[in-house]
Amino acid sequence: MTRLRNLPRPLAGPGLAAPAGVAGEAPNPAGPLSPDWRELRAVRDVSAGFTCGTSPGSRSPSPGRCSGPFVIKPHVPKAMIVVENLAKNYGLTQALKGISFEVKRGEVIGFLGPNGAGKSTTMKILTGYLLPTGGRASVDNLDVVDDSLAVRRRLGYLPESTPLYTEMLVEEYLRFAAEIRGVRGRDVRSSVSRVVDTCGLGGVTGKSILELSKGYRQRVGLAQAMVHNPDVLILDEPTSGLDPNQIVEVRSLIMRLGEQHTVILSTHYLQEVEASCSRIIIVTQGSIVANDTHENLVSGVPARSIRARIKGPADNVNNQLRELFAGKAVEQINRDGDYGHYKIECGAARDRSPEEALAELVHKNGWALAELTRDSATLEDVFRNLTLANTTEAGHA
Amino acid sequence: MREIAIITGRELKSYFVSPIAYVFGGLFLIVLCYLTVTSMLVEGQTANLQSFFQLLPIVFLFFLPALTMRLWAEERKLGTLELLMTFPVSVRQLITGKFLASLIYLSLVMLLTIGVPLTVAAHGDLDWGPVACAYIASLLMAGAYISVGMFCSAVTRDQIIALLLALVLLLVLFLLGSPFVQENLQTLLPEVMVSALAAASPYQYFNSIARGVLDTRDLIFYLCFCGFFLHLNALVLQGRRMKG
Repeated sequence: MTRLRNLPRPLAGPGLAAPAGVAGEAPNPAGPLSPDWRELRAVRDVSAGFTCGTSPGSRSPSPGRCSGPFVIKPHVPKAMIVVENLAKNYGLTQALKGISFEVKRGEVIGFLGPNGAGKSTTMKILTGYLLPTGGRASVDNLDVVDDSLAVRRRLGYLPESTPLYTEMLVEEYLRFAAEIRGVRGRDVRSSVSRVVDTCGLGGVTGKSILELSKGYRQRVGLAQAMVHNPDVLILDEPTSGLDPNQIVEVRSLIMRLGEQHTVILSTHYLQEVEASCSRIIIVTQGSIVANDTHENLVSGVPARSIRARIKGPADNVNNQLRELFAGKAVEQINRDGDYGHYKIECGAARDRSPEEALAELVHKNGWALAELTRDSATLEDVFRNLTLANTTEAGHA
Repeated sequence: MREIAIITGRELKSYFVSPIAYVFGGLFLIVLCYLTVTSMLVEGQTANLQSFFQLLPIVFLFFLPALTMRLWAEERKLGTLELLMTFPVSVRQLITGKFLASLIYLSLVMLLTIGVPLTVAAHGDLDWGPVACAYIASLLMAGAYISVGMFCSAVTRDQIIALLLALVLLLVLFLLGSPFVQENLQTLLPEVMVSALAAASPYQYFNSIARGVLDTRDLIFYLCFCGFFLHLNALVLQGRRMKG
């Protein structure tokens, strides 16, 4: 059976370059097919639900009607991982309150959230270790509860604390991980040597895991997760407890993995998701509060500080600003001539009131406002904004 | 099948890389042989291994919980259970794999007691049929004890608690099979209940096999007994997936 690895590529390939009679498309009048045109057609095929030449309106694709050179599996999943309304209770505690998200093939998803937000729980359900209390989750169109074993064959998992059989040798352990995950015969050796290379374990294969440093153990954990070349990698805090150099190494390793695998990783290091994730999901108190790319998240949130250049008598401006923003940090960065440059930490207010108040103050005193900008937000601002907002609300209630 | 073999292989290896295999095996053999030699190898005794095999259930009672206490408790404490349960292996396969590993290890230790029948055979005319039969019985007995010990290891993450729990449970089962306890129970409970309780004791079925009578009913009892506790074990592990 032909399984699509990465949607855009095979469809744009020569096999589907000219499927027989796709929805009455006229051949390109410019002569030979330009690559752009081919891609355009491929995209149309996708939107038609892989009906392979049947009318775009027909909803249930039937394999029998496929006449193209490729026979495409009829129920090709749109997303590699689909989570719908997933809920999990630990006794009376609601760890997950019905979260939903999708992960497409080849995406690297960063799972962010404070401790106890439900990141690990979600991962444990996806890997089949825990059963959900409600909702559904599927990997590659297979339900994580009903087809648990089939799902687990497609997954590689690195649990949070990197548990390993410390009495085993590194190579012995990786062989075990490969075999138990269904790698057979001669492939075991090649799979093990592949991950030993990728994870930089060359020098320690003969050592007992007990002797390894935290960084090397983490690499062994990563190696066991990918030894069977799974479609999906689920990594729970892969860089926790590593030193900065090791973090950089593991991060670049994950970025390389993301080229071939679908990856979900959870972390507390915000730079990590900025660097390596194509999309970010922020979870807090069992619910998803954000699910977007880094750029979109950052652009949607005001930064927590504003900068202003004000022309006016220095002491007076200083005093009045401190009075206006009482309880907030007002800092004069520098002063050239009449102009004072100020930075005001005013919190990530969603409305524009700090700017308005400042402009009003300047106007009232007859000063001049040469510049008024908000600093660009960082992911940290977004994270604090989304996760703290909820807790303070809960605290007030 | 393949998965079970892989689990069994890893588990068996882990016995031998840690000191537990040697300490356990050594102590077990010393205690067993010492007790045997002092009670059995006496001038004028009949050449059979009755007293050797009669000791086994008691020695097993104290040693096997120590062998099984780590099976799940250690994995849970170290967190490796989480990884183990996300491998594409069913809970039943995991349990079978671990059970077989313990049983194979114990069989190897039992193989080392072959010196006892050899010594007896050198000094008298030993009938090997009942001896073979008794070895089979002792492995069935060990299987029953291991399944109880493994279940106890699954309910807790503390190895010591697993050990004590298994010890108490096995002791109760052992006592239920002894005629002395049965007589005393009869004064308290109706006869049907006493015989039902006695029937649950693996000790009951050991003696007849150890004497050389291989009855299918006894075999079926041991299979059911192991099956029951291994199934309970599976329920505990599955239940933990629900509870988290």
